[in-house]
Amino acid sequence: MSILRRKREPETVETMALPQCSPIGETQPRQRVCVSGKVIRMTARPTSGQPALAISISDETGTATAVWTGRREIGGVTLGRKIAIEGVPVLHGDHLEFTNPGYTLLPR
Amino acid sequence: MHVIVVGCGRVGSEVALNLASTEHDVIVIDRKIEAFRRLGDDFKGTTMVGVGFDRDVLTEAGITPDCAVAAVTSGDNSNILIARVARETFGVKHVVARIYDPRRASIYERLGIATVASVTWTSARVLRHLLASESTPDWIDPSAKFTIIERRVPASAAGTSVGSVESASTGRVAVLSRFGEGTIPAPATLLQEDDVLHVVMPADSGALLDAALNTKEGSH
Amino acid sequence: MNVIIAGAGSVGRYMAGQLQDSGHNVTLIDNDTKVVTQGRATRTPVGVTWWLGDACEVATLKAVGADQADVVAAVTGDDEDNLVVSLLSKQEFAVPRVLARVNNPKNEWMFNDMWGVDVSVSTPHLLTALVEEAVTVGSFVRLLSLEGGKARLAEVTLAAGSPAIAKELINLGLPRESTVVAVLRDGHVVVPRGDTVLHQGDEVLVLVSGAVEDDVRRALVG
Repeated sequence: MSILRRKREPETVETMALPQCSPIGETQPRQRVCVSGKVIRMTARPTSGQPALAISISDETGTATAVWTGRREIGGVTLGRKIAIEGVPVLHGDHLEFTNPGYTLLPR
Repeated sequence: MHVIVVGCGRVGSEVALNLASTEHDVIVIDRKIEAFRRLGDDFKGTTMVGVGFDRDVLTEAGITPDCAVAAVTSGDNSNILIARVARETFGVKHVVARIYDPRRASIYERLGIATVASVTWTSARVLRHLLASESTPDWIDPSAKFTIIERRVPASAAGTSVGSVESASTGRVAVLSRFGEGTIPAPATLLQEDDVLHVVMPADSGALLDAALNTKEGSH
Repeated sequence: MNVIIAGAGSVGRYMAGQLQDSGHNVTLIDNDTKVVTQGRATRTPVGVTWWLGDACEVATLKAVGADQADVVAAVTGDDEDNLVVSLLSKQEFAVPRVLARVNNPKNEWMFNDMWGVDVSVSTPHLLTALVEEAVTVGSFVRLLSLEGGKARLAEVTLAAGSPAIAKELINLGLPRESTVVAVLRDGHVVVPRGDTVLHQGDEVLVLVSGAVEDDVRRALVG
């Protein structure tokens, strides 16, 4: 039952580590990237008759937006929460926007 | 519960027959009327010919936010369309989509759609995801002392740590699948809505796991 | 521009040829071996890169350089495929402009930003609109949907009773979220300015947001 011995081997390949993120300010659009920050804004952004959830996250280097289509809320995603976002962002005017990215809730 | 099954192939017909023989109220939608032959003569549910992502068809099939929808046609693209329309246009919470291509599964899981991959698919798994009722065991060890239970994390448990779920349930989270990819979690890993957990635990502790996952947001 | 076209039917091939002729770098994807083999063998359309694969797969889009594409056009004969190609292009590759063809008008409602579609073109809808335009004068005809459905290009031929006749454009009271793009008169295009006066029989092409469509219709049709 090697899973029970897992605690002595924290660095196995498949063990879930926290994602490696880069600063928002250094992120280029159209490349797969991970950024992390604190949720500073959450809005319901209904479009074309369907609900959508938009959040803005901020680290010391900048702010980025993530939009999830078809949802009004995501468990654990609240104002002030630290979260990592992973996906391919678009440049929307002057800021980056991720559509339906992967996310990881980070410890407080 | 009212269940809409879209696709009356081998999977869909099996799911529909299983459901109709219990207390659920089932309707099966398929584009071709011949597909309903698989249901046999004693099928207790209803059938409807139509396209499963057509809003009028779904409305006529009695779709409401409290019902369940299984998108189990033979096409991944159809299944995703059906799943998204059910979830996003009609507000259905219990939606499961069968996906043949595992690479696509991870993208769709990010949209918040529960997918069941063809490889590990059985009608039992589809039903389990669909009905999302208490944890049912995947495996019981020969001594009947331990089971492996598969459970989807509800939104209310998001933010709980794996470690605290393990302590409360007296089990170990062997594998955590997030956005379609399985990993071995660390005790500090925080659970997220729609994560699929495979938990090894003592055989009769299912209720402890359910209780651990039904905790309210305030405790973490 | 780098353009990827999914679907090498007559529409896709035509588009590929036109765009390649205009100097763009075009890749045409289809899942049918015969179609791709023949295209490659006959080298038509000229200069276009052919790719055999399923455009609904991330691996295929990656292989044809979707991460560098300026435009993806999903023009297969299957609406489900067109929607999935659009979603993947937008979400996984952040393609700036995604265009999708609507085969069945009943599905048109999905062809917007929910599936990553910036511009949807419904051939049946367009044909109907053109027929309407040919036979009616005075009604407001929607030609094209843009920006995921938020903006529309529409056309009105001014009939005798139109409130817009003999008025300068600047005095029409058109709302802010609308623009008169062109006025077609006697076979030529009049570039509209504030002091352009409209005549009966003018075909007015206007870009409107959904929110103000009714106001614009009232100003031009009555």
